Amino acid sequence: MSENKFEAVSSIVDNYQQNDELFDEILNDSHLSATWQRYHLMGDVMRGETSDVINFDLSSQIATAVADEPTILAPHTSNNLGGKLKAKVVQFAKPFGQMAIAASAAGLMVMGVQQNSADTDALLPASQVVKTMPFGGVAEPVSLNFQQTSRSSEKQAFVEQQRRFQALLSDHQQQIKLSSVDVNYTSPQDKAEESAK
Amino acid sequence: MKLISSLLLAVTISTSLAANENISTPVAVNEDISTPIAADENEQAEPWLERLATSLQTLNFSTSFVVVKNNQAEPYHWFHGVDESGNELEILSLLNGPRRDVLRKDNIVSYIEPELPPYSVTSQQITGPIPAVLREGVTALDQTYDFISVGRSRVLGRPAQLIRIVSKDVYRYGHWLWLDQESGMLLKLALANRTGQLLEQIQFTHLDITNALSESLLQLQQTTLPKVIEIPAGYQEQVLQWQVKWLPEGFKRLNANRHRISTTKKPVEFMLFNDGLVDVSVYVNPSEDTQRATDYVMDGATVVLNQVVNGFEVSVVGKIPAKTAKAIADSVVLNTQSTP
Repeated sequence: MSENKFEAVSSIVDNYQQNDELFDEILNDSHLSATWQRYHLMGDVMRGETSDVINFDLSSQIATAVADEPTILAPHTSNNLGGKLKAKVVQFAKPFGQMAIAASAAGLMVMGVQQNSADTDALLPASQVVKTMPFGGVAEPVSLNFQQTSRSSEKQAFVEQQRRFQALLSDHQQQIKLSSVDVNYTSPQDKAEESAK
Repeated sequence: MKLISSLLLAVTISTSLAANENISTPVAVNEDISTPIAADENEQAEPWLERLATSLQTLNFSTSFVVVKNNQAEPYHWFHGVDESGNELEILSLLNGPRRDVLRKDNIVSYIEPELPPYSVTSQQITGPIPAVLREGVTALDQTYDFISVGRSRVLGRPAQLIRIVSKDVYRYGHWLWLDQESGMLLKLALANRTGQLLEQIQFTHLDITNALSESLLQLQQTTLPKVIEIPAGYQEQVLQWQVKWLPEGFKRLNANRHRISTTKKPVEFMLFNDGLVDVSVYVNPSEDTQRATDYVMDGATVVLNQVVNGFEVSVVGKIPAKTAKAIADSVVLNTQSTP
């Protein structure tokens, strides 16, 4: 294996060149593929993007799993491997969609609190529409009313909570502005005067 | 079988293209992946941060950036310059929604916001999305943070150096900074938790560095800023009934006062702590509820945590992990020394 090839792999890893022939070569050469994998792993480690568990030979595991898989069309229901694979594929895609994931994670965190709101605001009209339709032929006005009252108090609590969080957030930002006040400040003119003395 | 492995490789390739922040130097061919490359680069991080501080203080720049958090983007304009007499001029404007401008003429900072009449304070730093410590140099942070130079990448169409400010303990987030190799300016800033998940990002979308002051700053020179508000002596060092027993190392108290929260008019005991990089506010006030479970929301990297214990409401706000905020809230106790 020539040093050149390793250098070439390295430069592709670093986005310095894109060479289709070389990609093909990497794909067809298990040794180069392994090098490719290692370089990326190094990069991930240095950037701190590795997960807690690093799976070193994921691709061969997948390949083995695929090879072992019987060729039947029925879905393979009870296998642990399915879950494992999914998790790993997500990890591969992680840096790729970092921003999107971060954004959706942030969304999730807010969602966690907004669960109530989802119940009340978003879903209530929809479920009402569904329920008032003579779908099963049975109207459920009583349970519907009951839900509404419990939901409205829930909603009130939620609104109250949102207001509290919002107030704290804006007060926090306000206080930072007031606390950055610098008493021991000397202006450039003062400094110039001092040094002149 | 071949198809599968090539598919996997394809995924990895697109990953590397998109991540866009690869190791700069081609790594030596070596089976041993523990080659201490990072150790060399470690030494380079602090000069980069010093250079950033100098650039932020001395350059005439006009720039735009977008704060990305919670699935939304807030665009800002930011101008900075130094006039003939050495005074710094600075404008930071939020471009969406009601006007929010921060103006600075040397040591007077004015805030123009929808909630309050315009006011000024005596300060050398504007309070905005970009941590003020970046322009003061980071030496103050080295007790609690490590600085690591990670490598090169391309940001805003320029070659950039990625520097990470990593907390030495588990109680804080890490800051990732992409710095312009040419000017040393900030091109991108991200807050990430310890697993590398991004919580908040500031992406610069345009950067002009000029010799002369920009038009907006020339206008600012002619503008009279609103009146400076006087903060009574001792107002920020009041003796409070409550105290915080635990904070991550390096946090210092900047402020302790009693005030009313402007929107709810609720009186609170308030403490502000800062570790040089992030601010953490702690609020204590009596509550109508006797007990309420801990609850929190995230605004980007900022956590707002709130709980009621024995009729007292304790809230913690700041760019810290929720676990840290919870630990701080749990450590709030009555100040036995001050109560008679």
